[in-house]
Amino acid sequence: MKENKLEKTIIYIVLIIGGLTMVLPFIWMLSTSLKSLNEVFSFPPTIFGDKIVWQNYLKVSDRFPFIKFFFNSLKISIIVVVAQVLTSSMAGFAFARMKFPGKDIIFALYLATLIVPFHVLLVPTFILMRELGWVDTHLSLIVPSLVSAFGTFLMRQFFLTIPESLEEAARIDGCTPFGIFFRIFLPLSKPALATLSIFTYMGIWNDFIRPLVFINTTSKMTLPLGLASMQGLYSTNWPVLMAGTVISLLPILIAFLFAQEYFVKGVTLSGLKG
Amino acid sequence: MTKKLEKIIYNNYFWVAIFLLPNFLGFLIFILLPVLASFGLSFTKWDLLGEINFVGLANYQNLISDSTFWKVLWNTIYYTLGTVPLGIIISLMLAIILNKKIKGVKIFRAVYFLPVISSTVAVAMVWQWIYNPQFGLLNYILSLFNITGPSWLTSTTWAMPAVIITSIWKGLGFNMLLFLAGLQGIPNTYYEAAEIDGAGSWAKFSKITLPLLSPTMFFVIIMSIINSFQVFDQIYIMTGGGPARSTSVLVHYLYQNAFEYFRMGQASPIAYVLFFLVFIVTLVQLRNSKKWVVY
Amino acid sequence: MHKKVLMLIFLILLIFLSTSSTMAEQITLKFMGWEASPLETNSIKTGLNEFMTANPDIKVEYTPVPFDEFHSKLLTMMAGNSAPDVFFLASAFYRDFAARNVLVDLTDKVDSQIGIDNFIPSSQTKMLVNNKIYGVSSCTVSPVLFYNKNLFDKANLSYPPADPAKMWNWDKFVDVAKKLTIKSGKRTQQFGVFGFQNFWWTTVLSNGASVFTDDYSKITLQEPAAQEALQKIVDLRKKDGVAPAGNFLENSGMNTAQMLQTGKVAMVVDGSWALQELAKMDFPIGVAPLPKLKDTITTGQAHLHAIWKGSKHKEAAWKLVKFLSSSKYQTNLVKVGLWMPNRKAMYTPEGIKKWYNPKVHPANFKALTDYFLNAKLEPSVIAPQEAWDVLTTEELEKIWYANQPVKEVTESMQDRINNLLNQ
Repeated sequence: MKENKLEKTIIYIVLIIGGLTMVLPFIWMLSTSLKSLNEVFSFPPTIFGDKIVWQNYLKVSDRFPFIKFFFNSLKISIIVVVAQVLTSSMAGFAFARMKFPGKDIIFALYLATLIVPFHVLLVPTFILMRELGWVDTHLSLIVPSLVSAFGTFLMRQFFLTIPESLEEAARIDGCTPFGIFFRIFLPLSKPALATLSIFTYMGIWNDFIRPLVFINTTSKMTLPLGLASMQGLYSTNWPVLMAGTVISLLPILIAFLFAQEYFVKGVTLSGLKG
Repeated sequence: MTKKLEKIIYNNYFWVAIFLLPNFLGFLIFILLPVLASFGLSFTKWDLLGEINFVGLANYQNLISDSTFWKVLWNTIYYTLGTVPLGIIISLMLAIILNKKIKGVKIFRAVYFLPVISSTVAVAMVWQWIYNPQFGLLNYILSLFNITGPSWLTSTTWAMPAVIITSIWKGLGFNMLLFLAGLQGIPNTYYEAAEIDGAGSWAKFSKITLPLLSPTMFFVIIMSIINSFQVFDQIYIMTGGGPARSTSVLVHYLYQNAFEYFRMGQASPIAYVLFFLVFIVTLVQLRNSKKWVVY
Repeated sequence: MHKKVLMLIFLILLIFLSTSSTMAEQITLKFMGWEASPLETNSIKTGLNEFMTANPDIKVEYTPVPFDEFHSKLLTMMAGNSAPDVFFLASAFYRDFAARNVLVDLTDKVDSQIGIDNFIPSSQTKMLVNNKIYGVSSCTVSPVLFYNKNLFDKANLSYPPADPAKMWNWDKFVDVAKKLTIKSGKRTQQFGVFGFQNFWWTTVLSNGASVFTDDYSKITLQEPAAQEALQKIVDLRKKDGVAPAGNFLENSGMNTAQMLQTGKVAMVVDGSWALQELAKMDFPIGVAPLPKLKDTITTGQAHLHAIWKGSKHKEAAWKLVKFLSSSKYQTNLVKVGLWMPNRKAMYTPEGIKKWYNPKVHPANFKALTDYFLNAKLEPSVIAPQEAWDVLTTEELEKIWYANQPVKEVTESMQDRINNLLNQ
């Protein structure tokens, strides 16, 4: 019993030290964002300065339309997530349940590209976007991401685990493949769909290198790119930089607080897939 | 509906087309075509503005004789060795602790997950400021323990470890959550049975937890290694590959070649080296997994 | 009722037609630059408003992009067929862009409407690429020595002379820097000087050495005089103890003005553009030439304004470039301390009167004007951009950051840099 108590104390100490390590950078960011430039250059550092300097926020939002960046990121993420989930699950269904010539070869092609790093595609994709005239438009960030080999593979694997007897009955009732897909397969695949959505969403929301290459106009920038271009301007003005960082993180942190369970579930389901 | 009609509807290529074609077209144009084009580009010299020239294997030869490339390749491996094992050990430990029935699990879980949902660019900027040798938080904390901290991001010795620490911090929660899910999938009866046989904590961990966690472990290791090979964001933001190229990695060098020096042909072989690395890791892991992953 | 409606429709149509016709006439020019400080963008925007008032048919949209990303972004935009009509080009990138054949040849226009002979020598050499002109020099900027007068007063030292002919030699300079270095225990409270390593080539040139051969086909930093100069810079920190670590700037997150203001450093070597921000500070600043090894020299460079070959409005773009190159536009930015003039005529006693601004330029600044006029061309302008980039951000960082010996680094980098020079 005593040993148990000691163990628990140690566990809590470890957890709290770990937790502080996780939270401290965020607090540091927030506190810096509210300081004056002179206070930042004082030693030892303090958590709160003498005065709370809100001007840093005004200064940064004056030059960088973070709300615009946020909606740009949101628009791109939502379109890509919805489209990718749809195309992946439909093709996954075809691979899992339909018979057609060349199916194995086509699926092998998908599998082969699964481990191709995105960066292999970066230069050719840029050339393609240029030919299409899509450089510096959101289309260059959306269209190439509408389809994912990983998503297709994930959905096919999941659909294979759905027993055939379920659709047999529907088929006898005269259901079309369309009906079977939407009424039986999709509802049964919520966990896989959630996982795919969250992976895709995190990938697109935080994507940096593609916006960096494709987008030039400030008003079309996504949050990470907008943030990086702010860094270029206020390279040494840490309070202003941190204010920008706070603004950029706020929406996603708030969303996380409200939808924590979904986030957590979405990630953990993928772990089960091993 | 007659049986015949039903068969037509179900096996009709019409339906195959509806379900597969949108995806397949996208796949052809935006994945397969670029992969092949990238291969083709690797035999050319082109700056996207002027004429395209076929140069045979010159780009590959250049790469082999390019000392920067080898440095960058080593940096990539250094970064991977620095982040993956340590990141996995810490996140596994945390997962095991959080799997015990203690109060406030949800809060801790959320706290450890905060960096995961934050964008890498934002995280990198915050840490850049934390690493400031004069006024940064880290060296201040070190000074409380009478340690004079190094000049982190501007030191050729410490810049890479600094980037590694940031990456571990950022990815910890994600791996932890995966492990947690894996742990929760292990039935308690196994542990109870082991306790009856008088097994200690270490025995329980090595004989029950680790083997039963191996599928998750397999997944986490592969994903972590592949992600480490492709690191870019934090390096671009925090160090720009410096000082003296001590933190430049494959993708950073690829980006520089393509979009700073505009040598598209020279960027492609680097991309293929990256692909080759990922391919090898996947292959080796798949082979090895048969030996240690228990399904 | 009917008539009223008709009248209304007619009126609306009239308004619509009239606005659309003026809209059709108006040209929108895209103009891209970078900004060293938000102050700079304000100065530029004021100038652009002036231009648009004078040319109501041209609208200019100005976008500042961070300098670090600027040139790679610009090339990407050109490759993506979406580049701005007019843009800045850093002098170090200018020849690189010209070689890619993406800039409009301005030789005839500059010759007939501006005249290249009116520029100071360093700007002339900068603009001419194989006797062609693809961009017009905006101004000139040169590294100089800034100092906080209060710190000199406190130490009872006389200020560095502004007259280049009387400027201290290196040893005297190090002596003063030592007196300005204040330590408490192990921690240095105030350093004597910072910044030479960011402008290392000035020290090399001052020692009678060179960075490259005259035809820029080989690097010459391994020659004894050049090595000696680089060693002097290293010694400031290692032997004399008057300079902070090479990465002080990045480490402290302070810019020149803040270093001098907070008294962390007494003298800072920085580009003359820093005067704009320094002039707004609450302490008296001084400006002096760089200390000499053999000669008192500085180097000049500054961005150029150029036109994209793919621009649809080349004539309007030229109007803008011509405006940006005008003495009038330049004078505004010279007056605030950001730029120095690039025309010979602005360095005559009458010319100086046009821009000298006692609120910004320190009292003895006039003694310095010839220093800018006679500045040598910065070696980065002619050297291929990648060679310069590798030299400064990789090879020399080994000396500044990784403590490798000057001899070893300069000797081992020869092959690599020579290769890049001849590519």
